[in-house]
Amino acid sequence: MTATRFRSARRIPAALVALAVLGVAGLFLYDLAAVRADRPAMAWRRELARRLEVHTPADLAVQLAGGALAVAGAVLLLLAVTPGIRRILPMLSPERDGEAGAGPPLRAGIGRRDAAQVLRDRAMEVPGVRSARVRMGRSRVRVRARSHFRELEEVRADLDAVLAVGIEELGLVHPPRRRVRVRR
Amino acid sequence: MLGTVNRILLAVAGAVLLAAGVVLLTAARPLKGRAEPLLSAEDRRRYLHADGWGWWVLVAALALCLLLALWWLLSQLRRSRLREVAVDTGDGAFAVLRGRALSDAVAAEAGALDGVAGCRVVLRGRRGAPALRVAVELEPHAVPADALAGLAGPVLTHARTSAGLPDLPAEARFKVASHRAQRVS
Repeated sequence: MTATRFRSARRIPAALVALAVLGVAGLFLYDLAAVRADRPAMAWRRELARRLEVHTPADLAVQLAGGALAVAGAVLLLLAVTPGIRRILPMLSPERDGEAGAGPPLRAGIGRRDAAQVLRDRAMEVPGVRSARVRMGRSRVRVRARSHFRELEEVRADLDAVLAVGIEELGLVHPPRRRVRVRR
Repeated sequence: MLGTVNRILLAVAGAVLLAAGVVLLTAARPLKGRAEPLLSAEDRRRYLHADGWGWWVLVAALALCLLLALWWLLSQLRRSRLREVAVDTGDGAFAVLRGRALSDAVAAEAGALDGVAGCRVVLRGRRGAPALRVAVELEPHAVPADALAGLAGPVLTHARTSAGLPDLPAEARFKVASHRAQRVS
């Protein structure tokens, strides 16, 4: 199951962290070289040294900074571990047994919005449905339809059957559970 | 490949930041205690006043960090589109296949499938390990599973055999052309 999930390359967080490391290392390197060349240290370094002497871990500012660092670290760890790309639902790759040298299967996925649109089109084909809104989650799909004729129960049953076929024809690895609401 | 490197480095950075934050919050080991300064002038002179070889070590470490960060940043900006692949012709020689030629051929074939409105194909990866990425735009009433079966069956098999890359990995992402709801009456 996890093998078919699309995994983000995490380019943007990586670029941001790289930029931060680049900036901090560059600043320290420059300042070290400047001091070595008998020029005065930059003001921020003296200020930083002074603050480190004054503040203790009991200070509110230090606690806040510690909290911010911990949260940032947790976010980065989470980004590193989770697959990402939640907007694409993985699709079942068709079985191709019997073909010699078929190679590895095709990894495929469909966007959540796109899947919702497919289901909406299906829902609109049901007699009695005037408008339909489909919200596609990763494990459930919510369909809200308005009906303008026929008995609500009949429309509901038809809609349910049509959506069951529609979800099957999406060919998802994890077919979502559906919740259908029909109103007048 | 890039994803793995990014995730490992992000995890390392995250662990370091998390550890630093927790140390600050709990006033644990490297710090002296809740009421003591974070870094007294005396400690700073004793531990962080680098001179002699210590200075060179510090500068070398910082320079290494700088270079690694620069490489890491630049590798995010590079596009992994492949211009050409080497095709084993079977007689000990290699032919060079242009990436555009292969992806155009696949796009044309996939675009002819039932229910496919448009198709963009790019060849990604490295020269020795190419990979296909296909973005398929479906027509409004197409069946996604059927389009996938068509793509995975004849189209992909044809591409693999004609390029001589039986293990060519492929990835497809389906979209649906955006349109308004229409009622059949």
